[in-house]
Parts: sequence; structure tokens; C-alpha cells
Amino acid sequence: MFTLNVSGIGKHYGETLLFRDISFQLNRGDVLAVAGWNGSGKSTLLRIIAGLVRPSAGQVGMFFNSEPIPKESRRRFVGMVAPALSLYDELTGLENMEFFCRVRGTACNRNDCLDIIDRVGLTEHATKMCRDYSSGMKQRLKLAQALLHKPPLLLLDEPGCNLDSKGIEVVQEIVSEQRQSGMSVIASNEKREADYADRVINLSE
Amino acid sequence: MFAVTTLIAVSFSIGSFRIEEAERPFLYSVLLWIILTFSALSGLARSFVKEEEAGTIDVLKLSARPQAVFLGKLLFNLTLLGALELMIVPSFILLMSYQISFPGFFIAVIISGGLGLGAGTTIIAAMIARASTRGALFSALSLPLLLPLMITCIKGCERAAIGISSAGWPEVKIAVAYFVIMITMSLLLFPLVWEE
Repeated sequence: MFTLNVSGIGKHYGETLLFRDISFQLNRGDVLAVAGWNGSGKSTLLRIIAGLVRPSAGQVGMFFNSEPIPKESRRRFVGMVAPALSLYDELTGLENMEFFCRVRGTACNRNDCLDIIDRVGLTEHATKMCRDYSSGMKQRLKLAQALLHKPPLLLLDEPGCNLDSKGIEVVQEIVSEQRQSGMSVIASNEKREADYADRVINLSE
Repeated sequence: MFAVTTLIAVSFSIGSFRIEEAERPFLYSVLLWIILTFSALSGLARSFVKEEEAGTIDVLKLSARPQAVFLGKLLFNLTLLGALELMIVPSFILLMSYQISFPGFFIAVIISGGLGLGAGTTIIAAMIARASTRGALFSALSLPLLLPLMITCIKGCERAAIGISSAGWPEVKIAVAYFVIMITMSLLLFPLVWEE
């Protein structure tokens, strides 16, 4: 059983304080929404949890069956979607999935990649170059990339960004299915996305 | 492109007969390594910058072990450098009528020097990827790190051209040692460079 324990996290850039003393614990089935004004640090908080940014204070603990997971192994437990994350434009959607399978060392084959592409509704475009994708299709592919290794922790930064109504349904399904196998943290100002969550942290308060 | 342009410029302006025969082994070695080093610096510096500019660096950080990323980039850079050497070195020998007395030793210097050059530029490229003044920083870091290797390789090529006894092949040993040290240090330091 995977658990996430965030305790006393704070972040400042120089003299500018983004947030401080953020603490929460998530267990399987939990969905947490992070809200706040633009620039309040929602994305930064998710990046800190993912291990992409060092916090100025506090720590992020990940545990599997109560055993702490070392930092270098955490990437296997985390899937992330964010506007700033991009996939390779010079590869097709399917090639991107196969590439990330290989670099992750995940035991997945072409059919697994096609399954995940199908799940986000990109089957017809799987062999198209990503540079030819619309921004909504790229967002769907980012979702597929985040789900590829079936992570217990899903970090979704503005997951509905650029998506049409069908794409938003896909996000809703993903968050709902994630409750069975893990947990999600959603950073968004959309009320619709905050409604997926059981708890909300507002960084503007 | 830089390599081809420099090679043609050097061969046209200096040619094979404008230099005293006694000075050729040394000067040709210097010119060859200047072309190789600066071609490598201009091309290989972008290996990590490209990921940074395309926004793919964070997905890589979330997906792969830092050492795997470094070794992947190193392999790519070494392949690129190998192709560059295959194109530049024979053309240089041909255009400049570069006489080499110990071809085996010369090839060993080129290969081992290329390995060291690839390893050195890969870790420097990783270090400068997030900096705003990449160009200046790359030059400032490359100079002290690559200079010992360049001097060694120039000396090695000169000795291979003159035909001084190459017993022990000291320049090749130094370049291989440089490569091994660079790889070891890079594998230890790269995870720190790779993190924020």
C-alpha cells in the first residue's frame, strides 16, 4: 500500500514567499485538489512532490507498505501531467509511449502502449507525428504518458487544459479509476476539477 | 558544417606547401585538433540544451535514472564525434598531404582523444543546460577541462607523424585515463547536476 506524506513544505524564491507549512497525507483512494491564484505556487507544489524542485522547508515522504521509498526510486511511483511537460515532437504518439516504456524500464509492449493510447482516445492518431497534434491531442498524450507505468500517485496540473468535453470526460474517468489503485493530486482553478476531489488546499489563503 | 567550413578554409589558406616541412607534423596536429575540438564544442554543447528548450527535460527526469540519461547522451555524442572524425581526419590528411609515420598510433590517438572529448563535452553540456549565458559558460568550463586532453592529443599526433618511437603509447594511455576519469566523475556528479 502506497502513502504520500507531505509535512511542513514551504517554498520561496529569494525574498518571495510562495507558500509555507503545507502538510497533508494521502492514502489509496484519496483525491486532493490544490487551488489558488495564478502564481500562488500550485504547479510548484506538484513539482516538489514529483521531486523536480527542492522545497525550501519541509519534506515529502513516500512509503510503500510503511517502508520509506528512497528518492532515486520514486519516479516509478509518480505519474505527472503539467503544461510545462512536453513530449517529443519528432516522434509519433506510439513511438513516444514506446520510448518512455523503454527509459522507465517498464515491462510493457506495443499492445500495452496502444491500449493506453486508446484509453485517452488517440487510437486514430497513434502513428501521427506529435508535431502535427493539436494542443488537446498533446494533452491527451501527456495523460497517456503519465499512466503508462500505472503509478499509484498521479499529479495532474491543469489536467483539463486544452481538452474538449470528451477529453474532460477522459480525465474524470482517469481520476475515478485512480481511486481504485492509488491517489491523485489535482492543481487547478476550475471548479469542475476541484469537484473530483475529497479535499481542497487553497494556497491563496 | 562548422567542421567542413573550417577544414576547407584551413586547406585553402594554408595548403600543404606553405609550411616548412620540419614544422608540418606539429602545426598540422595543432590545426587538426583545433578543427576537431571546436567542431565538437559547437555541436555537442546542444545535447542537453535541446531537451531544456523543447520542455522534454522534466519528463526525462520523471522517467529515467540520471545515469541512464547521461550514458544515453554520451553514446549519442560519441557516435556523432566518431562520424565527425571519420569525415574530417581522412579529408584533412588528403587536403594537407599530412604524412604519418605510425598510422596505428595516430588512429589510436584520434580514437582515444575523441572518447575523452565526447566525455568532457557531455558533462559540460549538462552543466550549462539551465544557464542563461550558456555560450560563455560553455567556453569558460571547456577550456580548463579540455586543454590537457588537447595538448596530449596534439603531442600524440605530432609523434605519430614524425615517427618518434611510440613505445608505450603514453599519449593514448593519458587520453584513455582521461576518458575513464571523466566517465567515473560524471556518473557520480551527474545526478547532482540533473536535479534542480
